[in-house]
Amino acid sequence: MAAADLCYLGIAELARRYRAKELSPVEVADAHLARIEAVDKKLQSYVTVTPERALADARAAEGAIRAGSAGPLAGIPVAYKDLYATKGVRTTAGSALLADWIPAEDCTCVTRLQQAGMVMLGKLITHEFAFGIQFPGHRFPPARNPWNLDHVPGGSSSGSGAALAAGLTVGSLGSDTGGSIRGPAAFCGIVGLKPTYGRLSRAGVVTLSWTLDHTGPMARSVEDCALMLQALAGHDPADPASSREPVSDYTAGLRAPVRGLKVGVVRDYFLSDAKPEVAAAFEAAMEELKKLGAEVREVAFPGIWSSPALMVIMLSEAFAYHARDLREQPQLYGEVLREKLMAGALVTAEEYVQALRIRSQLREAAHAVLQEVDVMATPTATVTAPAFATVLDPNFPFARSNMFPFNMTGQPVLALPCGFSPAGLPISLQLAGRPFDEATVLRLGHAYEQATEWHRRRPPV
Amino acid sequence: MSDRQEPPELTVDEVRMRIRVAGVPIPEDRVAMVHDLLRNGLRPIRALDSRAVRTVEPAPAFDAAAERDRHGRR
Repeated sequence: MAAADLCYLGIAELARRYRAKELSPVEVADAHLARIEAVDKKLQSYVTVTPERALADARAAEGAIRAGSAGPLAGIPVAYKDLYATKGVRTTAGSALLADWIPAEDCTCVTRLQQAGMVMLGKLITHEFAFGIQFPGHRFPPARNPWNLDHVPGGSSSGSGAALAAGLTVGSLGSDTGGSIRGPAAFCGIVGLKPTYGRLSRAGVVTLSWTLDHTGPMARSVEDCALMLQALAGHDPADPASSREPVSDYTAGLRAPVRGLKVGVVRDYFLSDAKPEVAAAFEAAMEELKKLGAEVREVAFPGIWSSPALMVIMLSEAFAYHARDLREQPQLYGEVLREKLMAGALVTAEEYVQALRIRSQLREAAHAVLQEVDVMATPTATVTAPAFATVLDPNFPFARSNMFPFNMTGQPVLALPCGFSPAGLPISLQLAGRPFDEATVLRLGHAYEQATEWHRRRPPV
Repeated sequence: MSDRQEPPELTVDEVRMRIRVAGVPIPEDRVAMVHDLLRNGLRPIRALDSRAVRTVEPAPAFDAAAERDRHGRR
C-alpha cells in the first residue's frame, strides 16, 4: 500500500489491520510523521510535531495489541487543537501570550484518548484564542486549506480541518463556541461533531466563552467520530458543566436503518442566503435521505433570527476571561483580535442578561421542533471557503452563521461533506438532534455517508 | 418571540460613546469593525420585549448529592 493511502485509512480499518498483523502502529505513526514533514510546509497545520512521543505511544499501543488488551483506538494517530492542555508539550492557544506555556497536566479529553491508546502526533494550530484570525506578522502563521492554498480552512480549529483533509492525522479534537468544529469540517471536507453541551469535558481546554464552549471529535468519517466520542464521553468532576447523563453506545446502532426517521428542514434563515451551489448540494442531500427512507419535511423554528445574540454572550464572556491581560500586556494579542475582545467591554449587563434569555427561548423552540422531527438538517455554511485575501480585511463583515443556533441551544450537531462547488471546494451538511441523542445524528450521518462518495475525495496536496 | 423585526440599530456614534465610557483603547480605524460585531449581536436584543420573556435564566443549579473537592468543585 502506498504511504499516502495508508495515511487515509480510518480508525476501524486500521484497528482491523493491527489485529491481523498486516500493519503496526509504529509503521503508521512513521508514515504520518513522514507525510507531515513532506506536506505541512505548505499547509502549516501543525504548530508542534511530537515524533518521539508518537513513536513511544505507538510502541506502547503495539504491546497492548499484541497482549490482546487494546481497545478500538489503540495505535490510532491523533493530533490535538493547540487549545487542549498537553502535559510537557507546549500549548499556545495560537497566541503569543501563551507561546511558551508547557502544561503540567493533560486536559481531561487528552487523558481519555491517550488512555484509550491513541498515538499523539502533535498540536494543531488554532485561530488565536479560538477567535481571531492570524494576520500577517503574527507569531504563528495560519493553516491553509488543502483544497486550495489561497483559501482559509475555516476556524478556529483550522489546523485540525486542514490536517485531517490532507491525511496528516486520523483523528483530532476541536472546540466549538460558534462553529469552530463545524466550520473547518465544512471548508475542508471532513466530519466534525459538536456533542451536546456538557457531554464532553472542557476542563483544561483554554476557554473562549464557557457557556457556549463545546469540545468534540473531528475525523474523516462519521464512524471515526463515533469511535472517538465513545472514549471521550462521560462525567468529569473538573468541568462544572459536565453532565451526569448516562453515556450511550454510539457505534452499536450506527448501521441501523434510517427508514422512518423524521428529518426537519428549516428553510427560513438557514437557506436564506445560501449560495446556489450550496443550496443545490443541500437539496440533493435531502433527496438522498428520502431514498434511504427518511421522511424529510419542512419545519418552522420560531425565533431563529435572534440567534446572532450569541455574539453578545461570547464577547462578554471572552472579555471577562481576557480583561487583565488586555490591560497589562495588550501588545501580546494579535492585531484586530485585541479590539474584537475589547468589544466585550462595550456590552451592558442588561444586554448580556437579555442574550441569555434569548438563548432560553431558542432552546425551548428547538425542543418544540424536535417533538415533530428526530433531526434538523441544514447546510453547515451558506458559502464555501473564502480566500485569505477576503477575510484578512479587518472590516470583512461577521456573517450570519448557520452554526450559531446550535451553540445557543446546546444540541448535538454533526457536519459532514455533501458536495463540491464548481471551483472544487467542499460543501457540508449539518444534522442537529435532541440533547444527548448523538447516536441518532451519527446514525443518519453514517447512512448518508455510506450512500455517497464525497468523504472519499482527497485534496490535491 | 419575534422574528425579523426592524429594531433600532446600534449607531457608530453610540459605539464611540461606549468606548469612552468603558475606557478601552479601541483606535478609530477599528470602530467600524467593532460596530459591525456589536450591531449584529444586539439587533435581536433590541427587538426583544423584555416584559414578554419568562424569567428563567440565568439561574444557578444546585445538586445536593454531588461530592465537592476542597475548591468547591464537583
